[in-house]
Amino acid sequence: MQEAPAPTPGPVITLVQQALPGVAFEIVMTPMDECIVVRRDDFRRVMETLFRDERLKFDYLRCQSGVDYITELESVYHLYSFTHKHSLAVKVRCPAGDTHIPTVSDMWAAANWLERETHEMYGMVFDGHPDLRPLLLEEGLGYYPLLKSHPLAEIEEWQEDYLQAIEDAKTQMAAATGTEPVMDEKAMKIQIAQQKAAIIKKTRDEARAQGLSDVDQKAAVTAALAKFEEELASQPQAGGVAAAPAMTKVELAQAKAKVITKARADARAQGMSTEDEKKYVAEQLKEFSAKLEAGGGGGAPAAAAPAKPAMSRIELAQAKAKLITKARADARAQGMSTEDEKKYVAEALRKFSEELGS
Amino acid sequence: MARETLIPIERDLDTVDINVNVGPQHPATHGVFRMLLQVDGEVVVDLDPIIGYMHRGNEKLPENCDFRQAIGYHDRTDYLAQFNTEHCFVMAVEKLGGIVPTERAEHIRVILTELNRVTSHLMFVGAFGTDIGLFGTSFMYAFRDRETIQGFFEEITGERMMYNYFRPGGVAWDVPENFKERCTEMVKVIRSGIKDLEGLMMGNEVVLARCRGLSPTSREQAINWGLSGPMLRACGIDHDIRRAEPYSIYDRFEFDIPVGVQGDVYDRLIVRLEEMKQSARIVEQALAALPEGPIMAEGMKRILRVPAGEIYMRVESPRGEYGVYLVSTGTEKPYRHKVRGASFCNISPLREMSIGHYVSDVITILGSTDIVLCEVDR
Repeated sequence: MQEAPAPTPGPVITLVQQALPGVAFEIVMTPMDECIVVRRDDFRRVMETLFRDERLKFDYLRCQSGVDYITELESVYHLYSFTHKHSLAVKVRCPAGDTHIPTVSDMWAAANWLERETHEMYGMVFDGHPDLRPLLLEEGLGYYPLLKSHPLAEIEEWQEDYLQAIEDAKTQMAAATGTEPVMDEKAMKIQIAQQKAAIIKKTRDEARAQGLSDVDQKAAVTAALAKFEEELASQPQAGGVAAAPAMTKVELAQAKAKVITKARADARAQGMSTEDEKKYVAEQLKEFSAKLEAGGGGGAPAAAAPAKPAMSRIELAQAKAKLITKARADARAQGMSTEDEKKYVAEALRKFSEELGS
Repeated sequence: MARETLIPIERDLDTVDINVNVGPQHPATHGVFRMLLQVDGEVVVDLDPIIGYMHRGNEKLPENCDFRQAIGYHDRTDYLAQFNTEHCFVMAVEKLGGIVPTERAEHIRVILTELNRVTSHLMFVGAFGTDIGLFGTSFMYAFRDRETIQGFFEEITGERMMYNYFRPGGVAWDVPENFKERCTEMVKVIRSGIKDLEGLMMGNEVVLARCRGLSPTSREQAINWGLSGPMLRACGIDHDIRRAEPYSIYDRFEFDIPVGVQGDVYDRLIVRLEEMKQSARIVEQALAALPEGPIMAEGMKRILRVPAGEIYMRVESPRGEYGVYLVSTGTEKPYRHKVRGASFCNISPLREMSIGHYVSDVITILGSTDIVLCEVDR
């Protein structure tokens, strides 16, 4: 992953080279420690020398971490020597299909728990480790959460479903009212940005999976983006900023409040009783609503409201989200697999749409 | 027949080892921590520490947010040494990205980090006293001063616990105008508080009887087990990352590294008490040198992209070596974000430390490791 300028061996690495003639390793530049990458076959020998050799004497293992580079896994050891006060990082890699690495817990007792954790998080097997039970996670989990192939799936899934429900609701609304979905400039920009982000992510993931270099990855992403922009330019522009809807909910409520205030003031001016006042106000309100329905102007409100759809967009999305949550909970309660669960949720959504359509 | 029933009394009685479950919900385990003890009478013959009850994926979550958002997760690892953990992560990002924080920010960070070390140790002394049977006395004294300093932190950051105040390149906003005076006050509070606690703890018969010579650790053991911080220094090893591999501006200050003699529980307590005094010294020196000026490095972008590379940054947190192993691939998010918890490594040899001791002493030993379960489980 590193593209450092030609690495030069530091004082510690020079010592390592002297202590281990004939062992090939790669040198990696990091801002703090000197770092070497050794082959898996040499690993055990290298570590034993680092631990025992008088010139090196790395008696302290400060950290052991796993890293997932998709095609291969990496185990990193950060060592320190109390005798010589120097430090070194050692890396060893194994292919994703064969994740066996010899343990070092017999030399550094500190490696015991660190390797146990890496084992449960990455699935690396440390051969010779005395106790590879899960440490932080429950037993029999069946997956390795820190692998890149295990994204924060739950959340992403939920977000995807929710966003999809909103999108569906929009198109349904459009179909019901026979108008194009209203989209202002800002929303359109956001949508384009989202689409772009998705393209970048997808292209990069693909490029990584193919094992392309960083430069090639960038080139692939740029090409994909250029293609997307071209497509966008060739599409007819959406109707621009659409006319605002005749009256929003808030406006409606304000108009109603005005009617009520006015009616009450009138009633009081005429010296009505409380009962009569209530009736009068209700009458005025009814009149107002009737006017709205008829689409006629006049009276308090100046503008007319469009025919109110059976269910507002947000309500629809909310209803769908509720449905998804419920369906998922049901599916889980029945102990379905992830695949079945998805199908079940999709089925529930389809039914809901049909009911709505009828 | 009657004779036969009398015979067993003359035979050796068979005893059975029994398992005792301590925790996960137990006041002496300092959090959600479980120990499975196998006891022979009163003596522990086997111990299995079971952790993970607080595991929240603190290493996975930052892989899904950008470098600045990840700071908050460090407050939530070691929730008693928040500034220390933030400092570590922020410096890892800075070193990787080639960002140089301003002088003023460096001083503010050091002052807060050291005050934070004191609050953390105060918490230890208080809770440890409760562990060994001082029933609340030490707790009350320690918390009187800890509360004062926490109030001060709240004035600066707006938060009582999860400060989220350090940023790559500096700090989130400048400190209040009366910062210097308030800090001087805090140092006074610390000094007088330590006096009280020393009087309460050091010559206390309960403390001496229960802690002296309990679970001594040799230097070789300590190093091999991967102990760090006060646990390591109690064994007589003069190792402090602030001195051994100076980070930030610690090379400018004078301070001593207190060490113990035989690495027993008593030494661990004394080392921590002494460390508080040294922190007060550092705060005073940093205050005297606190310059005026900007609190954020120039040219910081709104979205921080850290160049590809990797780093293992470590700091001396109150519990020992807190490390962050950060791998960046040049995007705005960390590719790998490993946290090396000091408590995690300090508690891993709990079995070796406790075997052969009485059950009540195991609680004392556990208390002396000063674990924070959120950092153990991450």
